[in-house]
Amino acid sequence: MSVKALRIIWRVTALNFRAQMEYRTEFLLMIAIGAIWQVSVIVFATVLLSRFAGMGGWDSSDVLLIPATRMLAHGLFVLFLGRMHWAGRQIQEGRVDIYLMRPMPVHRQMQLAFFPTNAIGDLTVAAGLMVGALSRSDLDWTAGRITYLIAAVLGGMLLEAALFTVVASAALRFPAADQWGRWLEELLGTFGSYPLNVLPKAVGGLLTYGLPLAFVAYFPAAVLTGHGHTTGVPYWLAAASPLLGLLAYLGARLLWGWSLRHYSGVNG
Amino acid sequence: MAVPHAWRAARVTPLGELNAPPRMTAVALRLAVQVVLVWSLWRGLYAQTGTTAGLSRDQAVTYAVLAVLASRLRELDQYAGRDTVLQHMHFGTIVYWYLRPLPPQRYYALRAAGEQLYGLAWALTGYVICLAAGVVEPPRSAAVAGVFVLSMLLGQWVLYYVMLVLDQLCFWTVRNTAAMLILLFAQNLLSGVYAPLWFFPDWFVTMSAFLPFQATLSVPLSLYVGRIPLSDAAFQLCVQAAWVVVLALFTRLLWRRAARRVISQGG
Repeated sequence: MSVKALRIIWRVTALNFRAQMEYRTEFLLMIAIGAIWQVSVIVFATVLLSRFAGMGGWDSSDVLLIPATRMLAHGLFVLFLGRMHWAGRQIQEGRVDIYLMRPMPVHRQMQLAFFPTNAIGDLTVAAGLMVGALSRSDLDWTAGRITYLIAAVLGGMLLEAALFTVVASAALRFPAADQWGRWLEELLGTFGSYPLNVLPKAVGGLLTYGLPLAFVAYFPAAVLTGHGHTTGVPYWLAAASPLLGLLAYLGARLLWGWSLRHYSGVNG
Repeated sequence: MAVPHAWRAARVTPLGELNAPPRMTAVALRLAVQVVLVWSLWRGLYAQTGTTAGLSRDQAVTYAVLAVLASRLRELDQYAGRDTVLQHMHFGTIVYWYLRPLPPQRYYALRAAGEQLYGLAWALTGYVICLAAGVVEPPRSAAVAGVFVLSMLLGQWVLYYVMLVLDQLCFWTVRNTAAMLILLFAQNLLSGVYAPLWFFPDWFVTMSAFLPFQATLSVPLSLYVGRIPLSDAAFQLCVQAAWVVVLALFTRLLWRRAARRVISQGG
């Protein structure tokens, strides 16, 4: 990406931010909704942890590392790549046709459609939860572990982006595919925050190989906390989660490019 | 109003769904997977625990699965139909609601009734399959079943008004996405969709008792699984009915005031 392109991205983002600030109450409420949505995950996790001691044989401090990793990855996804989540609506409204006529890549234009104010709330709560999880952790946080945690958060962000990019690619052909995006978000929010070994093996397998939700936070947290050999998948596969996130995102972008070349407009 | 006219308005959304087979396939698959996941999660959580918060494993699983099925009652992709109040306010087309011979409040009510009946077909089908597969427990007696049906009806009625208040907010705010999301979140959390309210701390349960949200789902499902005994059913039904009356009066007032705020092409 050239310096000129980066400058344009920065300018458009700054303008989008100012546009969001125009409606101050809405701006503050959007930050609040990001925070509240994430607090709901914490509330649910806390309630379950207090009622059901030792989820799947994990200590509560170890379990907390899963939602902390997932929420931080999700917050970064919302901030940098989250507009893919709204691609279905942009496609339904025919905005892709306008994007195709401009010199900037369509994917970049989609990402620059608006500033994700709710990401501020998302990231604030996620950072708070991560600090809480790390302070309760008995692990020795060596440079290697910290590096792996950072890679895991980035990998989780890319994996989530990959999943939504696949849905957006499908929406280019079938606009109703947008519904799958909402389901995906619900699944990630509900089942992405707990040790998946509390589920039957077949269901855990579905959330590993069918929908690679386990790679977002569960496997990296298992590797970090010493549960890497009890996840039901080879240790190397669980440990490679951040790399899989990167590969999945690159694959999803190729699929997006291919789908865009075969896009024939909302009206056929 | 003639019944055929009401029928035409009520069937708008269900017809839209029936004309989009991929969307229906997606709904069926999504519902099936969600039921399996929720069933698995709660059975897994109870693997090393007995009765918790007054709920046994089978009660908790039944509650959670029924909550998933009940969520289908009002979960249509209205946005794709471009007939949400938010969209009409955004595009300025809300004025057409006031130019038809059918009053907007009646049109809204008929659309909602059609949606809920369509959702009921999905929920009932799912319930029968889950019952046959032993995923959920049957009601403990005919009396429990009767009280549950009555409570669910009142709960859906309360839910209709809660959703209506959210939509009516659009008349007062230029942008209200965030406010609607916050209220939707409150509805899900305080009605027991995320987890049965019985698992939450006492202060949380007490607070939610003063709000209308638990009347929409928590009360009927608690009656079904037996967490609320039949002896308390009359009181709970009265509370639900009271919420219906209060919200009906409140939304009626809002409809009147909203009508004064509708402008066309800049006024």
